[in-house]
Amino acid sequence: MFQVREDEPKYAFLQDKDSKDQNRYGKPIELTTEGDALRDQSLNINNDSDIGDNPNRYKQHGFYFTADNCIACHACEAACSEKNDNAGHIAFRSVGFVEGGTYPDYRRQNISMACNHCDDPVCLKGCPTRAYTKFAEYGAVLQDPDICFGCGYCTWVCPYNAPQLDPVEGTVSKCNMCVDRLEVGLKPACVSACLGNALEFGVIENTPDDRYQVDAQIPGFPDPSITQPNIRFQQTKTLSRDMKRVDSTAIKYHRDDDAGNYQPVLDEKHGKTKHWGMKTLLASHENAHVMFTLSAQAVMGAFVMLVILGSFFGAPVIESLQASNAKIPLLLIMFGLMGTGLYKLNMHLGKPHRFYRGFNNLRHSPLSREIAGVSAFFAGLAGYTFFNFFDNAFTNFLAGASALLGLIGFAAGSYYMYKLYRIKARPFWDHWQTASTFYGTMLSLGGLLMAVVGSLFMPNSAELIKYFAMIIAFGLIIEAFGLLFHAKDLKSGSGEGQAAHYELSTTFGKTYWLRNALLVLNIILVVVISYTSLSGIGGILVGLLLTASLIAMAYLGRIIFYALVTPTTMPGAFFWKNKGFVDHARESGLADMQQLGVAYERHHKFDVKELMDTVKENSLMDMIEQAKAIVTGK
Amino acid sequence: MLFGRGKKNPIKIADKGVKEWKYATCGYCSTGCAIEVGLNEEGRAVSSRGVGNADVNRGKLCLKGIFEHELFESDGRGTEPKIRDSFHDDWQTTDWDTALDKTYSEIRRVQEKYGRDSVAVISTGQMLTEEFYTLGKLTRGIIGTNNYDGNTTLCMASAVSGYKRSFGSDGPPGCYDDFDQTDLLIAWGSNLPEQHPIIYWRMKEAQEKSGFPLIVIDPRVTMLAQNADRHLTVTPGTDVVLMNSMMHVILDEGLEDKRYIEANTNGIEELRAEVAKYDPVTAAKICGIDEDTIRAVARQFAKAKTAMQIWTMGINQSTHGSDGVVGINNLALITGNIGIPGGTSLSITGQCNAMGTREWSSCSGLPNHRLLENPQDREDIGKFWNVDPEFFPKKRGMFQTDIYQAMELGEIKGLWLIATNPMSSLPNTARIRKAMEQLEFCVIQDCYEDTESAQYGDVYLPAGTWAEKDGVMTNTERRINVVKPVIKPHGNSKPDLWIFNRMAERFNAEKKPEDKLNFPEKAADIFLEMGKLSEGRLSDNSGMTHELIEKHRGIQWPYTKQQAEAGEAPKTKGVRLYTEDATFRYPDGKAKLIPLPFIDNNEVPDNKFPFWLNTGRLIEHWHGRTKTGKLSNNNKYSPIPFAELNPDAARELGVIAGDYIRLVSPRSDAIVMAQLTHRVPKNMIFVPFHFHDCANRLTLGLLDPHSRQPAYKQSAVRLERIEDQEAAAQMSMEMRTF
Repeated sequence: MFQVREDEPKYAFLQDKDSKDQNRYGKPIELTTEGDALRDQSLNINNDSDIGDNPNRYKQHGFYFTADNCIACHACEAACSEKNDNAGHIAFRSVGFVEGGTYPDYRRQNISMACNHCDDPVCLKGCPTRAYTKFAEYGAVLQDPDICFGCGYCTWVCPYNAPQLDPVEGTVSKCNMCVDRLEVGLKPACVSACLGNALEFGVIENTPDDRYQVDAQIPGFPDPSITQPNIRFQQTKTLSRDMKRVDSTAIKYHRDDDAGNYQPVLDEKHGKTKHWGMKTLLASHENAHVMFTLSAQAVMGAFVMLVILGSFFGAPVIESLQASNAKIPLLLIMFGLMGTGLYKLNMHLGKPHRFYRGFNNLRHSPLSREIAGVSAFFAGLAGYTFFNFFDNAFTNFLAGASALLGLIGFAAGSYYMYKLYRIKARPFWDHWQTASTFYGTMLSLGGLLMAVVGSLFMPNSAELIKYFAMIIAFGLIIEAFGLLFHAKDLKSGSGEGQAAHYELSTTFGKTYWLRNALLVLNIILVVVISYTSLSGIGGILVGLLLTASLIAMAYLGRIIFYALVTPTTMPGAFFWKNKGFVDHARESGLADMQQLGVAYERHHKFDVKELMDTVKENSLMDMIEQAKAIVTGK
Repeated sequence: MLFGRGKKNPIKIADKGVKEWKYATCGYCSTGCAIEVGLNEEGRAVSSRGVGNADVNRGKLCLKGIFEHELFESDGRGTEPKIRDSFHDDWQTTDWDTALDKTYSEIRRVQEKYGRDSVAVISTGQMLTEEFYTLGKLTRGIIGTNNYDGNTTLCMASAVSGYKRSFGSDGPPGCYDDFDQTDLLIAWGSNLPEQHPIIYWRMKEAQEKSGFPLIVIDPRVTMLAQNADRHLTVTPGTDVVLMNSMMHVILDEGLEDKRYIEANTNGIEELRAEVAKYDPVTAAKICGIDEDTIRAVARQFAKAKTAMQIWTMGINQSTHGSDGVVGINNLALITGNIGIPGGTSLSITGQCNAMGTREWSSCSGLPNHRLLENPQDREDIGKFWNVDPEFFPKKRGMFQTDIYQAMELGEIKGLWLIATNPMSSLPNTARIRKAMEQLEFCVIQDCYEDTESAQYGDVYLPAGTWAEKDGVMTNTERRINVVKPVIKPHGNSKPDLWIFNRMAERFNAEKKPEDKLNFPEKAADIFLEMGKLSEGRLSDNSGMTHELIEKHRGIQWPYTKQQAEAGEAPKTKGVRLYTEDATFRYPDGKAKLIPLPFIDNNEVPDNKFPFWLNTGRLIEHWHGRTKTGKLSNNNKYSPIPFAELNPDAARELGVIAGDYIRLVSPRSDAIVMAQLTHRVPKNMIFVPFHFHDCANRLTLGLLDPHSRQPAYKQSAVRLERIEDQEAAAQMSMEMRTF
């Protein structure tokens, strides 16, 4: 058990005497009933089997923040990092701020924020590996870095920046509520260290001494309806109508007198100048996602066309392609592309050798389901490719079965590939345009793939080119419609959406226009081709140009999609937790100084040894148990 | 409700494996927090925590203290002595004897060639008191140069000078308990939440209980200012005018404490005559505070049952620094707010042991506030140390700032620089660089070998830092607290005390056995020797020992031998000075009310240089960042230099947030990143002074006539937008190594 010092000051001890029955969302504060199996279990902190004697052990706890009082002294952050032995670039808790007014009628409001151990922990639901658990003890949402494979999806879905993806370690870690201290009746380290009398902690919905508000929101704090966070606030000092973020995010918080709160709105902080932003885009760590989604979508599109349009509907062009000697090369190229995409995606993980854990959370995680779907699709594609080398009743049956598996995999994989981006904390993605672009890309790049391979291997490809040009046109038009509506909805939508659109038209403004121009050009081109087809040397040249243009357009569109997302999250400070400064430090080389607290993104090796150790250490029964748990949720 | 896994893995929480906690006092600011350093099985320092039952910090620490254990092994620590023939050569590692012999012989060589005072010894507020005392004995008693001072001239000299002028002696009369007792607090140029976070917490605790009003005087909207009941945005360098005008209102309206003035002060008539010139209408035009506010604040202050004033560098670092302190004291004296619970004028000190050096270093005279100008003091100390009193100069020598001017003129040829870094800390870096370049001999004694001043060293002596050493420190409220050697000094570095004693051996060797001075080896013994010298004086600590101090988590002076022998335990808190009538340190026991005529000699913005340059500290950094610039969990909050710039001014200049901008003053230029904020007015920028080759390239640093402290906070600059941002980033990066 955690050692309580003899001279431990009174303020460090938890004070809750009573508590309410329900929280403001109607959930019971007592998390388990008397006699429940979840009671009287040890938390096994560092293998210590003792059970804490905290009388409120099974009640939901949470932080309480008196925003008027925070002075941004960072003592909470320091105490947290000292206790958890965190390097400078990792912070389970961090302080950012918003400010408003005109000198000297100016006020800065600091916000210290860690994990809010939410009632609806989107991290837990999103994590494909089931690294997260919401404990009956204190309602703590804890994450186990030993399970995590470092995909970072929890950092996408969390609105509070709580999970920390460590580019050095390759895993996520986060606030553990100092459950070791709670077990012996002490408040968390950050709360005990607070020098402004701003941070408090206790059973949720309780009002600390000398406080009277128990609010769910303050300016700068994301909409609590996303996750029902367990944090409460007091904020009484009058703030300006506009409270500005000082980090690079083009957001300020504007008072909404009717709603009685502050809403994020666009703050055009770096003017209207348009840039290419190409350096940032090309260096983006998300290029692995671009490679994966584009190649997977191209292959999925091609596969579905091949199987459904060809084998099922008997489209003549595709039937002739199937009958031609283009089929095997096409399938091999598809298999290769898909494999490369998956490899890129896997190697982008912090712990690539833990890939198999991606299926662990089928019950909740769209990412797990995507992984499962895409894996099934890949298996189906592999089988289909393999059995197409033979031609007899048995192999044809197996090819058919593989095709079916591939189709099922496609249906699940493509849907969840889209669904996993419908994240409330990322309004830029949380739009049907993600689906239209993804499915549109399946048609355009899938069609392109088939057209290119077909025209390479088939003697007479004029009809084929016309046919696929039409499909490509169809895909591009779907994408273009989605983009139009997306841009319109962003401009009139939430602050984060507006900010994303603002970055799109400024920081990446020239690239954005190039992509749009290419899109229009490509549509015109393929529509024309769908009437005229291509032939001769000129045809080859135009075809090559179109191919390059389609790929460039798809790449730019997709990397923008990843690089640009403006999450609904906590405001940062001027240096600390400022994405703009982090980017600058990485680009300029400032980040070479370890004490800067900015780590470079990096790739992690596939640790065969760890994988083999895991295989050796776990019996077959363990593995079966594990697989069962995926279904049962135990 | 979701619970995730049914079958849970054990929870892993970092366990640093602390096996033993060792006691120390924090080595950063002068709050004087008691701290425990945790050692693991291998004896490595792995953790720090505030001592729960220490009255000062009551278990709390600021972010610097929380990571203080990381200092021991941080980058740039010196591990071996080094020498070289000239600063153009590369350093050669050597042994201690060679380095110390060279230091000794070079000091004597320079003294023989250019005279006794041609060697300057510049020390610090960073060492332990026994070390200061020993260095003072060595310098005053044997080396014999009168040009001996500390970097405390850059931070607390004005407070010392002001206290001396008003009360007849240095020594802050109040204590932290005054926050719990006061009915009104005025903070003059003090940003507690950032500069003294634990004192701020003590104040906040008190204020949440009693709700006393807080008045902040600061040109910048600091966290303290924005949370104040009244924020007076004074024009830089004109505080004295505001004080005079407040006194004008108090005396004019008869709000003064006539009994107190009569019983405790001299000079009320002269003061009355001077402040008569500062009616609020006139004063408002100079100090920028409107007449109504001046009147309201003066009345509120005078009518409060008890009122407390604190101040820091906003007052001290000004050409009217000493006058500002006297003005605060005047305000306190005419309202009877000295020596009573909740009524005081308390200088919030800077460095961890600035108070220790004020009391014991002999920089400004002789130990325990004794004066070279006083024949009896020379006689007493001469006898005590076994030094011919005639060997002592009859008048104190130059202050650190004047020493550098003498260096420019070639009057100082040798320099022993101890735990301070003038290349970063003194104003007008270009001048400091020239001064350093013309030295014939320079020895750098520091726990870091990468201080920017070390580039001009001929000898480098690696010193231990903070809790690698043994001794005491005195904090803002006169509390002496002890630092225990938690671990052995890094590499082959040695405690400063050891270095002084080895140097003393070399100088002592010149003397006949009966003329030698005694230099005790152990800090605890030196402390007892100091105790003897303190008997019957204002800062009497003769009742204390290292053990007793640790037991009580620090003891406020005075605590006398008589009290100890009578079995009177030291009080936990609330020890004040001047609690009885007419107990000030002037011969008649009365304090002086000193009139303060105001002459505006500041460099003020004009057409060519239209912005005020205001400099100051950040919570996450310590001074020249040799300590905090290496620790990511401190440094990351402001890793590169920046300027706070008003967004309206930025718009006119075409500057956006995050742009690198060039600041140009009549001295030189600097590159900083622009942070746009309405914390500063449109005609002012704020630049933190922590970064080398930055703020102090620009500062003028006119000197206060009394304290010789530089005016760091009142310079004029112009701003330029930089076209090539990439080159500016590169340049900024190249200008400092951490």
